[in-house]
Amino acid sequence: MTAGCAMKSSWLEKNTFHYSEFNDLDRLVEEKQRKNLKISLCLPTLNEEKTIAKEILIVKSELMTRYPLLDEIVVIDSESTDKTREIARSFGADVYKATEILPDLEAFKGKGENLWKALYVTKGDIIVYIDADIKNIHHRFVYALLGPLILFDKIKYVKAFYDRPIAIGKSKIRPTGGGRVTELVVRPLFSLFFPELTQILQPLSGEYAGFREIFEAIPFPIGYGVETSMILDIYEKWGLDVIAQVDLDRRIHRNQDTRALGKMAFVILMTFINRKIRLGLIDIKEDLSNEMIQYNLIKDEYKPDIFQIEGHERPPIIEIPAYRKKFK
Amino acid sequence: MDSYLDNLPAFVDTIKSIKETIITNIVLIGQIPAPTFKEKRRTSVFMERLADFRVDECTTDGYRNPIGIIKGTSETRPPIFVVAHLDTIWGTDIDHYYTIRSDSMTGAGVTENSIGVGVLVSLPEIFRRLNLSFESDIVLAGVIQSLGRGNLRGIRHLLKTWSTPIRGAVCIESYELGRLNYYADGMIRCEVDCNISTTNGWEHKFKPNAILILNEVINQILKLRLPQRPRSRVIIGKISGGFKHGVIAYDAKLGFEIQSNSDKMVKSIFNNIKDIIEGISHEYEVELKLKTLSNINAARIKYNHPLVKSTVEVMKKLDLTPISEPSESELSIFLSRKVPAVTLGITRGENHQHINATAEIEPMFKGIAQIIGVIMAIDSGVCDEE
Repeated sequence: MTAGCAMKSSWLEKNTFHYSEFNDLDRLVEEKQRKNLKISLCLPTLNEEKTIAKEILIVKSELMTRYPLLDEIVVIDSESTDKTREIARSFGADVYKATEILPDLEAFKGKGENLWKALYVTKGDIIVYIDADIKNIHHRFVYALLGPLILFDKIKYVKAFYDRPIAIGKSKIRPTGGGRVTELVVRPLFSLFFPELTQILQPLSGEYAGFREIFEAIPFPIGYGVETSMILDIYEKWGLDVIAQVDLDRRIHRNQDTRALGKMAFVILMTFINRKIRLGLIDIKEDLSNEMIQYNLIKDEYKPDIFQIEGHERPPIIEIPAYRKKFK
Repeated sequence: MDSYLDNLPAFVDTIKSIKETIITNIVLIGQIPAPTFKEKRRTSVFMERLADFRVDECTTDGYRNPIGIIKGTSETRPPIFVVAHLDTIWGTDIDHYYTIRSDSMTGAGVTENSIGVGVLVSLPEIFRRLNLSFESDIVLAGVIQSLGRGNLRGIRHLLKTWSTPIRGAVCIESYELGRLNYYADGMIRCEVDCNISTTNGWEHKFKPNAILILNEVINQILKLRLPQRPRSRVIIGKISGGFKHGVIAYDAKLGFEIQSNSDKMVKSIFNNIKDIIEGISHEYEVELKLKTLSNINAARIKYNHPLVKSTVEVMKKLDLTPISEPSESELSIFLSRKVPAVTLGITRGENHQHINATAEIEPMFKGIAQIIGVIMAIDSGVCDEE
């Protein structure tokens, strides 16, 4: 066994949990109150009218009304054109358009932007981020992420992993699949450059929670790269021991086609390489292109479909004066 | 009785105040596929939710029907049963994930019977919110194997093995608000299978066509003279068969139900149909198999039974118009065991029994209030008088 393997098994054993270890909600509430913690749930949205109501009402019922674990549910929306905001409001969430938060700053559109801006409007010492497109939402998605943060002082950031059946068509479920970008892009990259991080089983999962002191001190790419950069930055600043991961069992999500995943992979690669350059770990002699080029066959002719990524990144929000004024 | 009747309209608002919890129960239980005979996972979640709501006793009977018992204040009063069937008409490969909107819920099985089951497990919390306690124990039972070939096995077993008298019962169906069932017709549900041998042999000069054979069966059933009293009918409900357009059908299947408010008449019609099938089988030299899938006996309480009268009062107090038809549900098993019972629906909707069934949220709160009104009526003794 190599040294890397020995270290791996040790972290995996210590910092990997199953959601059922945290289903004593009375205990979590008691410990939360003893530590005088406030907890916020943030749902970033873009046209999620089919799933948003279910997420809000289940979490609100179980973790606010029945067990006072959460103090607020906040929806940060990227200009949805469907009824996402209206529905979320009708089920009792605090709803914001991302553009209305810190309006003096240049506006960007993306999941990372919503997560970053959530830090300004939420009140919690702990913030839980959950994607708004989970078809089989269960309150374990929230309490299981909170469990290690509330019960173990050393843990500052918790990431979800799960089985990933995918929904195909309108009414059928395929039993296995998903996680292609993780296996084809992120895991090879981690294996090459940060072997320790391969222990994080699903680095791209959209469900994670952490203390404000962590999130406010790291930059947020505005788009898909936010999950990758978050792990790299937390690892870089605080090490692997502040991170934990929790098995949430099954998560049903929408299947994305290969082209969409290609774009996602492009953004993640870009984020990763930029991080490596910034850390001085690699040196690339020329600037990276910011265009992902895919081809479509249109009337016997291949035409390029160019997807441009600006690669904007928000600085640690602690550096924003309005934030410091509000929280410090 | 009037005192609690007067409280019912106010109950609606209190019930509505915990709509998140009620819908959560509907979603968490309803999203678990539970085709008849495969209700195990749904049963587990049903039990977990009841335990989570701190119901006094959570258990399963010998047939694995999950049951929760809320203890009453009286040592001597028999229990009141509230039941909803757990099984659904949809298979495990169907997407059971629901879409919730401000005013509606959509998804496979939402009206058959996810809302009924979700409301059943919400009752302990609703009672707490309404500050209600009862003299009788309240037995909350999710019964398995009700639909189709299940033939109400779950409820049959539960009542057969229940050792004490039962004071009265409310059966809950998701759909449709306003229904008030208090009688069940006698019924036999059958299937006829027609199979033509695919091997070439001397016995058929011309191969018969299974679909045409069943067509002949239908024609002869339609020729039967059915009496208006006792009210009787044969419903041809399902047919399938054949392989492709240009090939004679070797297999075909016909599903039908005989219904009457007289068990004797059901039996008599069944025998007539059996004769028809045997005759056609003989004449056409084909294999025709008649199978009985399920059956129930006719049973009823009268319209002027105090339980029915009280239920009508409860519904009227909530501005609901009662509509009565015979029911084939768990009700018939209670009635056949001389337990006064009614079946009530919870809400309205559309595409009932379709994959995209949709149920309205708002009417649900009145639907739940009426169930509580009827439980209170039974607890006040309306079923004790006869």
